[in-house]
Amino acid sequence: MAVTQAAAVGVDAGTPEAARPFRPSLPGLVLRGLIFAGLAYVVLAVLPANADRAGKASDAVVFAMVGISLNIIIGYTGQLSLGHQGFVGAGAFAAAYSSTKQGAPFFLALLIAMAVTGIFALLLGLVALRITGLYLALITLVFGLTLEVSLFEVQEFTNGGQGQPALRPDWLIENSRFYYFGLALLTVIVYVDWRLTRTKTGRALLALRENERVAAAFGINVTAYKLLAFVMSGVIAGLAGALFGYRFENVTGADFDFFLALTYVLMVVVGGLNSRVGVILGAVLFSPFGLDNLFEIDSVHDFVAGIPGIGEGRIQFMPRMIGAFLLIQTVVLNPGGIAQQLRPLTSWLGGKKFSLHGDKDSGPGVVEGSSARA
Amino acid sequence: MPVLEVRDLSIRFGGLQALEGVNIDVNEWEIVGLIGPNGAGKTTAFNCITGFYKPNTGSVRYRGQDVTRMPPHRKAAMGFGRTFQNVGMVKSATALENLKTAQHAKIGYDVMSGLAGASATWREEKELEDKANAILDLLDLSSIRSTKVGGLSYGTLKLLELGCALATDPDILLLDEPSSGMGPDESDELGERLLVLRKEFGLTMLLIEHHVPLVLRVCDHVYVLNFGRLLAEGQPSVIQTHPEVVAAYLGGEAPEALAQTQVTDEDAALDEATSDALEHDAADAPARRTPARKTSPRKAAAKASTKSAAKSAAPKATAAKSAAPKATAAKSAAPKATAAKATAPKPAASEGTPAAAKKAPAKRAPRKVAPADETASMQAGADEETA
Repeated sequence: MAVTQAAAVGVDAGTPEAARPFRPSLPGLVLRGLIFAGLAYVVLAVLPANADRAGKASDAVVFAMVGISLNIIIGYTGQLSLGHQGFVGAGAFAAAYSSTKQGAPFFLALLIAMAVTGIFALLLGLVALRITGLYLALITLVFGLTLEVSLFEVQEFTNGGQGQPALRPDWLIENSRFYYFGLALLTVIVYVDWRLTRTKTGRALLALRENERVAAAFGINVTAYKLLAFVMSGVIAGLAGALFGYRFENVTGADFDFFLALTYVLMVVVGGLNSRVGVILGAVLFSPFGLDNLFEIDSVHDFVAGIPGIGEGRIQFMPRMIGAFLLIQTVVLNPGGIAQQLRPLTSWLGGKKFSLHGDKDSGPGVVEGSSARA
Repeated sequence: MPVLEVRDLSIRFGGLQALEGVNIDVNEWEIVGLIGPNGAGKTTAFNCITGFYKPNTGSVRYRGQDVTRMPPHRKAAMGFGRTFQNVGMVKSATALENLKTAQHAKIGYDVMSGLAGASATWREEKELEDKANAILDLLDLSSIRSTKVGGLSYGTLKLLELGCALATDPDILLLDEPSSGMGPDESDELGERLLVLRKEFGLTMLLIEHHVPLVLRVCDHVYVLNFGRLLAEGQPSVIQTHPEVVAAYLGGEAPEALAQTQVTDEDAALDEATSDALEHDAADAPARRTPARKTSPRKAAAKASTKSAAKSAAPKATAAKSAAPKATAAKSAAPKATAAKATAPKPAASEGTPAAAKKAPAKRAPRKVAPADETASMQAGADEETA
């Protein structure tokens, strides 16, 4: 959202949307600038400063990519995908196999990963043309599970069960560089996703999510755009999967179990469907960098362990407990997720007047109270 | 060459023959009405024409080109603009966004350059927005520019939907009940708007409409559907008095009308004579309900003198009958109408009719027959219609 609105203010100045004569005051601009600078400092300097932390931060980056990918299906097309770990896994295996076994250069391996998952997504998209809602969710579920027990078990791919090595090129061996590289790719993906919501593609997807007949009456090729959405989602998931593989430099089938798919859905819903900022925040929260990491911080760990009834033995369940709690409160109280709760802040950061009631001029991708219709 | 040429259109849903052998011609610049009772197949015909349904038989030709099997989005791109009975718009988007979405088919940039953010994309997005704003201004809807469509009133929605259909840059506009949800004044205004739009955009229109004054006001030609068949066609004023049409609308469901009607052989014979006398008639006699026979003899009598005079007089008979569906009222009124016509000049008779009919009928007949009736100002034949 912040990205979207910042751009809207910067570029569309003079259009009716910007007609509201609010302009941030100079101190306001400085304050916003300081906040952005602070965020940039944390993201670009603090996180990668330590190799271990940089590694975990790159996990978060990969999760964020998956989040954006999944948001295209759940948010924009309104379908539920419970098999996204299948895409990510296929991307990881494709990259690892093509680079290690076939000797493909790093970037080619990334492209192969994207192409392979793109094809998988196209197949799933063809199914989605005929089936929607709950039944499609079931099919995606089966898709993921099937990949788990078939493709991810093939000896040739998994290197006989030990895992397929996926060695980073020399220039990426340092975790901090890998993190920067992932961040750069994420930036590109966010940009594309933002362009998607701001051009005819986003409007077409929104229209066909709400009513395919209306979309067709507007001249929108329902079939093509549905497939496009699935393929885009698959390609991004494939790229994320390839990075996932390179992050640990080894890919095993066990990495991509159904629980991962649930985590993906959870992070997107809790983060806030149709909101880039929300999805990224949700992804960070549910990635190993987020809640899991939180309870590894000594002071937090000791504090929680000291709470009667939790103790040392149960602290490992805390991230999942919190995740479940966040899901419940999202579903019951604020269907827009974290993004909805942060909207006053993000829209203020985007140069709007601070208002707790949000603004009406949200872009096409932002739908109040929308959720996956299963 | 007609802009739209529908030939022998038939479609069947399971055991229901929704349309059978329907022929519709829409010529350049014409506004053609498609009317008929509930379930007559009007919207089905729209869906066949715009490509949402694939007809079992028959063809749809657009400016000479066979487009029967063309998918709806391609038809939209080639110039079929349409609206929906239950408002077809993206509810969670703003009015402006909807108007931009509706211009989809006319957008020149492709998806990939859009995603890449090529400069041409930005320029064109700006143009889309300008056009959307122009349409909002044209329809006096500028105030709802940034309002989410889901929160608008039904009448406004209908108008905005018309705007969206215009935004698709249509050549022929198919409007499904554009005036539903509007009061009498608003629908008068809509009629004016349609005429202006036709003039400004050079549009051809086919509209499903129940609001009879609007049909009379704007339509050049009217087709009447009943039970999936074409019942009649002709000029609106002629159609209004057409006995078959009147019968189809009043149907057999108006109990008072039924009770007071005794069908005699002579009546039936007269009825048939009338049908023959009137120009087009696709319906089969057995399908007619009794009220048809009730009204038609009078008309047949009138017709015997002069055909055109009968037409102008008949609405009064119809109106009187539906207004007070009592045997006495109807019977006393009808001869009067005929007499009035004989003396009064023709235009006066036909002009007085809609007004007379407008006041009376709304109360009773609709309540009996069509509980969902929404527009109180519906008149004579239109009474039975529901949205």
